[in-house]
Amino acid sequence: MFDAVFGFLYQFGDAFAFLVLCATGLAVIFGMMWVINLAHGEFIMCGAYVTVTAARAGLPLALAILCGAVVAGLVGILVERLVIRHLYGRPLDTIVATWGISLIAAQGTLIVLGPGLPGISTPLGSISAGGLSYSVYRLVLMATALAILAALYLVFNRTRFGILARATIQVPHMAEALGVDTRLIYSLTFGLGAALAGATGGLYAPTMTMVPTMGAQFIMEAFVTVVVGGADVFLGTAPAGAVLGLVKAAMTSWQGQLFGQIGLLIAVIVVIRVLPRGISGFLLRERS
Amino acid sequence: MARPGLPVRLLRRLEGPQTMGRGPLFWLGFLAVVALAALYPLTADGYTVGNTIYFFNWCFMALGLCLIWGYGGALSFGQTAFFGLAGYGYGIVTLNLGAAHGLTLLAVVCAVAAASAFAAVLGYFLFFGRIGGVFLGIVTLSVTLVFERFMAQTAGPEWHVGVARLNGFNGMSGMPPLTIPWPGGDIALFPDVPLYYVVLALLVVVYLGLRILVNSRFGNVLVAIRENPLRATMLGYDVRRYQLGGFVIGAALAGLSGVLYTAWGQYITPSSMGITAAALPIVWVAVGGRADLTATLLGTLSVLAGFQLLTVYGSQYALVVMGLLLVLTVLLAPEGLIAGLARLPGRLARRGRQNGNGNGNGNGNANGSPNANPNGGGA
Amino acid sequence: MLEDQSGDFALATIGKVHGIQLATDEINAAGGIAGRKLELVIYDTQSDNTRYQEFMRRVLQRDKVDAVFAGFSSASREAYRPIVDQLNGLAFYNNQYEGGVCDAHMIVTGAVPEQQFSTLIPWMMEKFGKKVYTIAADYNFGQISAEWVRNIVKENGGTMVGEEFIPLGVSQFSSTIQNIQKAKPDVLVTLLVGTAQASYYEQAAAANLHVPMGSSVNVGQGYEHKRFKPPSLANMYVTTNWIEEVDDPKSKAFIAKWHAKFPNEPYINQEAENSYLAVYLYKEMVERAGGSTKRDDLRAVIAKGDVCFDAPEGKVCIDPKSQHMSHTIYLAKVGEDHSISFPKVWENIKPYWLGDAGCDLTKSNPNAQYTPSNPPPKS
Repeated sequence: MFDAVFGFLYQFGDAFAFLVLCATGLAVIFGMMWVINLAHGEFIMCGAYVTVTAARAGLPLALAILCGAVVAGLVGILVERLVIRHLYGRPLDTIVATWGISLIAAQGTLIVLGPGLPGISTPLGSISAGGLSYSVYRLVLMATALAILAALYLVFNRTRFGILARATIQVPHMAEALGVDTRLIYSLTFGLGAALAGATGGLYAPTMTMVPTMGAQFIMEAFVTVVVGGADVFLGTAPAGAVLGLVKAAMTSWQGQLFGQIGLLIAVIVVIRVLPRGISGFLLRERS
Repeated sequence: MARPGLPVRLLRRLEGPQTMGRGPLFWLGFLAVVALAALYPLTADGYTVGNTIYFFNWCFMALGLCLIWGYGGALSFGQTAFFGLAGYGYGIVTLNLGAAHGLTLLAVVCAVAAASAFAAVLGYFLFFGRIGGVFLGIVTLSVTLVFERFMAQTAGPEWHVGVARLNGFNGMSGMPPLTIPWPGGDIALFPDVPLYYVVLALLVVVYLGLRILVNSRFGNVLVAIRENPLRATMLGYDVRRYQLGGFVIGAALAGLSGVLYTAWGQYITPSSMGITAAALPIVWVAVGGRADLTATLLGTLSVLAGFQLLTVYGSQYALVVMGLLLVLTVLLAPEGLIAGLARLPGRLARRGRQNGNGNGNGNGNANGSPNANPNGGGA
Repeated sequence: MLEDQSGDFALATIGKVHGIQLATDEINAAGGIAGRKLELVIYDTQSDNTRYQEFMRRVLQRDKVDAVFAGFSSASREAYRPIVDQLNGLAFYNNQYEGGVCDAHMIVTGAVPEQQFSTLIPWMMEKFGKKVYTIAADYNFGQISAEWVRNIVKENGGTMVGEEFIPLGVSQFSSTIQNIQKAKPDVLVTLLVGTAQASYYEQAAAANLHVPMGSSVNVGQGYEHKRFKPPSLANMYVTTNWIEEVDDPKSKAFIAKWHAKFPNEPYINQEAENSYLAVYLYKEMVERAGGSTKRDDLRAVIAKGDVCFDAPEGKVCIDPKSQHMSHTIYLAKVGEDHSISFPKVWENIKPYWLGDAGCDLTKSNPNAQYTPSNPPPKS
């Protein structure tokens, strides 16, 4: 009994971690700036590549992941400065621009670094429970997903940047009139989203194949989670990750991966019908 | 004043504030272009004709997106869902019924109707759920991705409709091309000169039809909604109905593209509903100039031809150059390349007036004004 | 030649381009085919099915090529096949695939399931035990290959203790790993495809799952043993018709020639060799047809049943009924340090299934793809 419960919790936690980590970067940029960042997958790829390179150069994995996140964040800020900044007020045009950026990034990586990169192995080994064995690293991923959510909450609610960012998002001209450098805020927010994507890439790098198009493997889960969650990171992404993770884990252990996927998709359709603005849209409406 | 003759009245309906190009000069040019397009197959080889039909196939989807995004201000990122649905619909109907007695034409009607019906249901949820702005894009994108994933896993023998196997990721093939019943033997429209004329005629009809539509009362209300949904509501228009109408017409056109594409290549796959495929129509429309039908049409054709040339001659660098072109277009020609070029002469004079409302959302600030912002605020 | 030099599949297909270039250069240096030099027309299809449709038309109608070497994924093959059929071209598909294409316009030089599984599965069951578990990519290749595995396991008195299909693009395998552990198989057949699914091995190793694995796609195509850190692929057995590690003088000479021309090649995979030998087969056919490149003349040569080439893997011959190839099948074992050894080699394994099932291209041409559960109609 304990084994079965543990097994299911493990699957649930695993799905939850993947969905939440996939989606936070996208959700921050989407929720805060109304930019659909189609280059999200490429930021993940960037973080993963940097992490693997750093780890192979001898850095401990945790530091390597940090490197990945920082580099992806800096690239994000650069992209914001060069391109996204000029498109505020035209949120829909950012789709075209970020799509272009994603093409450049994926194919550019292929040309410069070749079609694949040797991977690194998953650390921490495995534990066994009731005849089945589980990778310990996956438990670390679950903890990290929760830690990142907590950290984001603190950043947006307890730091000066967070408060200014929320002010900027709600009433931009007012914030500007009060002396907030809104351009800087947008720039940092975009960088934060990119850094989160980079961290996701770094975290999953040891468990995945390193190819220039690897970002695409995260995209669907990321979008699905954001759609179900709505525009708010805390009220949306986290509960959406939990609900979808539950659906996916239950369906997968019942009938296999295919049903896990179908379950996700049905959940999306149901949510679109019942809660058209996602979970956070619903919660916010209830609250107000 | 004497009542103007029929041609003039017809012409007036084709012109208006919502479309570029008016007056005898424009229409003479239009006739010249159509005439050139009609004479063109006489001078071109088989490949060029087939390839041009292929380009034309996509234009319907682009025009549909132009209507709902450019005119209606509602970005659908999921036009490919309707494209794919209609494509598979055509395959299912023709594989089951065969191509005799003009049944392929019936299949076209069925497939487009299916796409429209689905769009009506989806659009009802969306617009009557008051989803708008960027969120609409992300929801429609998810819908098309869901379709793609679902169709990709239908490889097993249990997935079939009648005799038509859905055939998973490899895609459905073997459906007949469009066939016109004709005394003395049906004409099968393989990608060659006859199909070229059929598709060209369709394109001209759809283009002119959409011009009439956007310059009609319906079109004007649609634009009013794009510019300011709140004001449109105050003036007594049911915003949701107009947007739903535009959405369904756009979906029907995407479905028409899907059918024509499927019949052209006798093949349809789930990847035509994937994220790459879904982004392409947006690219065409945005590069051409989404706020105008003519600009969209020209833009779509030039982007298609340009990207194909790049792939032919640019080898590995083609995708990078494409990406760069997209970013530069968005940065330097926000109205789209074609629209930008066409408006260049009168631009300086109108500069002050255009400021701030050149975009589909009609908002000057970074995150959309409250009425375009579906959640009405942050955390 | 149409191959993916960018996009998802580039990893496995750049070698195919090089294989054809190498063979062409060699043939031209030796005087060409029947006194005429080969001329290559190369397009990059960007791992995109629609590009295959565009460029297949282009090479057949504009460039008027005599033979096309095209395609990696089965979807891309199905996308271009109707066009080759319609325009009466001749295409070589130089790729291992799920089998079953019975089409006079196609020559397949890659290995098919009966060649890879009728060797691999009985050998593994004998060595490790009779309980077999299959995880396969959920599309045509995986479904049909899994069907083969199922049939062969049953014929050899084994039992299937589990079977799971993984949607394409899935990269997270915790639950799959748990299911496998619960079923306790003796042999695990992994038919995973694409870069996303390749992540399975690392995740299984991390979860301490070490069942002997058998596969028909890994190692030989995506050289996972070179790309992944040992020992994630340890204890895997793959049947392939050639890989870089094959240790005989002929292969060594081939690899030396290859590296002289392409010094930076990361790995020469089986599809690269298939592409290389395809050009030589074409040479053989044209020379025996007296220099004619007409498809009917070439097929008359094939019908004689003795078109063979002494490839790096050994002698390969075209089966006239199905236009597939006989192959030498190597059983490659991946060691703890990811070194390769070959416990067994089967020579001259024929692609028997299509011919036995009733596909006979010397008599009729159904232009169709069949599967064990959907065999050709008995005539």
